[in-house]
Amino acid sequence: MRRWYRNLDVSTLLIWTALCACGLVAIYSSTHGDAQEFLLNTVQNSFQRQRLWLMISIVALVTILSVPMRLLIRMVPWIYLATIGILILALVIGREVGGARSWVYFGPIGFQSSELAKVGGLLMAAFVLASRRKEKSILPTAIIAAGALGLPALLIILQNDLGTALVFVGLMPVLALCSGVPLRIVGLLILFPIAGYLAILSWPVAWGFTALVGIIAWYGTRSRMWVTAGVIASAMTVGVATFALQHVLQPHQVARIASFSNPEADEYRANVGFHLVQSKAALGSGGWFGLGFRQGTQTQGRYIPEQSTDFVFSVIGEEWGFIGGILVLTLFAALMLRLLWLARAIDHPFGNLVVAGVAGIFLIHVCVNIGMVLGLLPVIGIPLPFLSYGGSALLTNTTLLGLALACYMRRAEFSLYV
Amino acid sequence: MLSVLSLQLFRLQVTERQDLSEIARGNALRNIRVLPARGLVYDRNGTLMVHNASTYTISLAPRYFDRTRIPLLAKHLDVPDSVVTLRLQEAQDHNPYRLYPSFSNVSFEQYSRILEDAYWLPGVGWEIKQRRRYPTNARASHALGYTGEVNREELNSIDQESDSSLYRQGDFLGRTGIERGYEPWLRGIPGVARRWVNVYGLEIMSYAQGQGDQPPRGNYDLHLTLDHRVQEFAESLFVNKRGAVVALDPNDGGIIALVSKPDYPLELLNQGIQSEAWQALVSHDEQPLYNRATMNLMPPGSTWKPFMALLGLSEGLLGEEGPDATIYCNGYHPFGQGRFFRCLNAHGPQNIVTAIQNSCNTFFFELARRMDLEVFKKYANRFGFGVESPTDLREQTAGFIPDSAYFERTGRYWGTGTIMNLGVGQGDMGVTPFQLARYAAALANGGTLYAPHMVSHLVEPETNERVELPDIADPVHLDVDTAYVNLVRKGMRLVMEAGTGRASQIPGISSAGKTGTAQAPGNFIDHSVFIMFAPFDNPQIALAVQCENTGNGSLCAAPIASLLAEMYLKGEITPSWRTDIRMQRALSAISQSLTQAAE
Repeated sequence: MRRWYRNLDVSTLLIWTALCACGLVAIYSSTHGDAQEFLLNTVQNSFQRQRLWLMISIVALVTILSVPMRLLIRMVPWIYLATIGILILALVIGREVGGARSWVYFGPIGFQSSELAKVGGLLMAAFVLASRRKEKSILPTAIIAAGALGLPALLIILQNDLGTALVFVGLMPVLALCSGVPLRIVGLLILFPIAGYLAILSWPVAWGFTALVGIIAWYGTRSRMWVTAGVIASAMTVGVATFALQHVLQPHQVARIASFSNPEADEYRANVGFHLVQSKAALGSGGWFGLGFRQGTQTQGRYIPEQSTDFVFSVIGEEWGFIGGILVLTLFAALMLRLLWLARAIDHPFGNLVVAGVAGIFLIHVCVNIGMVLGLLPVIGIPLPFLSYGGSALLTNTTLLGLALACYMRRAEFSLYV
Repeated sequence: MLSVLSLQLFRLQVTERQDLSEIARGNALRNIRVLPARGLVYDRNGTLMVHNASTYTISLAPRYFDRTRIPLLAKHLDVPDSVVTLRLQEAQDHNPYRLYPSFSNVSFEQYSRILEDAYWLPGVGWEIKQRRRYPTNARASHALGYTGEVNREELNSIDQESDSSLYRQGDFLGRTGIERGYEPWLRGIPGVARRWVNVYGLEIMSYAQGQGDQPPRGNYDLHLTLDHRVQEFAESLFVNKRGAVVALDPNDGGIIALVSKPDYPLELLNQGIQSEAWQALVSHDEQPLYNRATMNLMPPGSTWKPFMALLGLSEGLLGEEGPDATIYCNGYHPFGQGRFFRCLNAHGPQNIVTAIQNSCNTFFFELARRMDLEVFKKYANRFGFGVESPTDLREQTAGFIPDSAYFERTGRYWGTGTIMNLGVGQGDMGVTPFQLARYAAALANGGTLYAPHMVSHLVEPETNERVELPDIADPVHLDVDTAYVNLVRKGMRLVMEAGTGRASQIPGISSAGKTGTAQAPGNFIDHSVFIMFAPFDNPQIALAVQCENTGNGSLCAAPIASLLAEMYLKGEITPSWRTDIRMQRALSAISQSLTQAAE
């Protein structure tokens, strides 16, 4: 008999190790440079705390890998309930950190409930989608699954953590695509964020995009209904976004949303654009090969706020240059391709959806975070998986990876009917 | 999607590298000006007279300051919270992103408390500045001078001349005395340290291991000719008196002491003086800021007689017999029939030596009667009167010697009597103690006028490079026959041994001197004046002392000069009955108060 760990995917683990190492190096550099003495004690301890959390994460990983698949699947509803419970608990007794009321403390150890909720949300959505009878239509099930993701998202919005809530929303089209929801519906779903993004950047481009949607919809479906739906959806989004930017939102909200496209402008660079100007300056001074470990002046001078958490990529970009940045991006690409490859190898829809969902969550995080650091997206506070400082995020992301690995490793344990 | 990210990463890190890294450098690379320590000042025996001590300034950058820390900062600075809020607002109005000096002259304890809590006080910077300190008991206020913060006009004019990094807002420069005269030497040239600074404006590391740094350079320590013991002693003898002392080395013109009283503590002005204190100094009746030693003009009185004797001898005013000629004194000069041109006594026949010894007015009235006024002015100028002296002190007045054009301009009646009055050092003329001392030194050394100077040499502390006194004028000879000078010296020696100065002899050291009593207008008591040099055969010190409104020259100025010369020559005052007399006379003399005299 093959031992239980014989099917463990070692290459994924290697990529994970490499990413965690990059994160530790970046955090170490930003807290143990020549300017260490100017840091608060709590910040100086970041490296040690992250190392500790890595140990906890490894324990969690091993635990998940050793749970039998049947037991895991049976536990999903309870995990989900617990997740919702913690989110509500955080709203009631949670502590506010950085404006979001999402922290729950068990003694001295604090968890960011919105991070942990990703595990429950993904598992529940996959569970719902996988339990559909073959003969039933996909759409009602998909709507229930969307509800399973929407509930925690709503609670997290109430906690005032919009960035994390967006991950749940972004996960919907990913799971929809993998569970057989027609492409045109998925397309319609991802239409909204793209149209909205373009509307913020420049409205002529956004209207051009709306026209393009009509053309693609016509060639894709040859159906007037879908063309109309697509164009109306896109036009509505652009219209609402433009109107909201000009008439509804307060100037400081507009500034926060729109500043990323031009952070150097005089009205932005000292306040909402400050992050981005400094982040871009850090990347630019890194050049091809970077300034070297603990030599980045932006990093050591702490010009970039949140540099060891949300803006950790700028530390890598400054100290290790384009080479370092590309290495990290390549590692993420390899991780996601590997996860998709693993998903294909699993026959059962639950395992399939979990692995694809994990890849989707990582993809959203990487794109939104690095897009923000590079000045392509508005400043939305979500961390870079495995690299950013933050214990809850590291634990959550490692758990998610562990679930994906478990599904692949125990793919033979899935029964035909769950 | 990841390739879009990669492309953008490439764009930022490779294509736009130049512009973006400029932003980063602009942020973080700062050229910090490093001021050289202002030169130290030593006296002629190597005693430290002026050095630098640190003062601490706390600066605020409001953009980075955490306003919840106002109470903490206020506690450390021992001020109410509202003061911190106010200073924050000032800094905000100036420039919210740059450190602005908000609290100057904080104590070392306050400074170290803030340094310890620097973690909790982002946006708080500090600066250590050097201020002048004076370790000896000698004030030497007017000789050393004070420094002051450079003002806007000066900044503009300096910038036009040369290097703009030389002075910046908040820098100090010498305002008076040698601080002013030797400003470029004391100051040196600022260096540059390139430093990476963090977002709070604090220095975190040097740039390129300090390769681009330039150390400050060119600051020299001054070694003065001043003797701090003589200076200190002179200041202590001037209690209750207004006046001045200038003591010179007759062999090179080095200033041994330069006292002007009343004076003021230099620390007061170097601390960034409070305006009330400054007002008090400026508006004080007795004008403590005024340098009497180089600027106070009064008639020389009888100290003028050696000059007149040399003039008379050189111009042949004594007739055929020359130096041996006598003039008969019966107590007054016949020109005024005994009314206006009186002598102290009926001296009988006087030759040039006895006339000086007895300070016979009749003799010098007669000399002056025979003299041409233009010749008088020519000789006075040659002796350094009525013209500015070459020196390294900036503040001085030329003094005033009249000529016929002057008297014509005044429109008053003038004639022989006016000129005769000048012959005994009274009337429309003004000389400074500085000029009298230079003249006394020339009499001491046989007729050479040196440029009086404060500094003997300069030393660069790093390299020990020694620079001899720069830019000092060559000595000039008085162009009078040495035999005549020796006659005058003989007369002056007799003054000390058997004349008006005999009570002020230095025990064991022969000296020469001449008392003077300068008439003060109105109800004022006369000014006491004295010139002196010693030892007679090998003069080492020449002095001029002026005491305002204290009376006869032998009562106040002479004992002070004699005591100072003794202190300089022996290093101490020998106890003796002569010392008792001199001390008693010097200390008991009191300048008539200005308000009293005006009543």
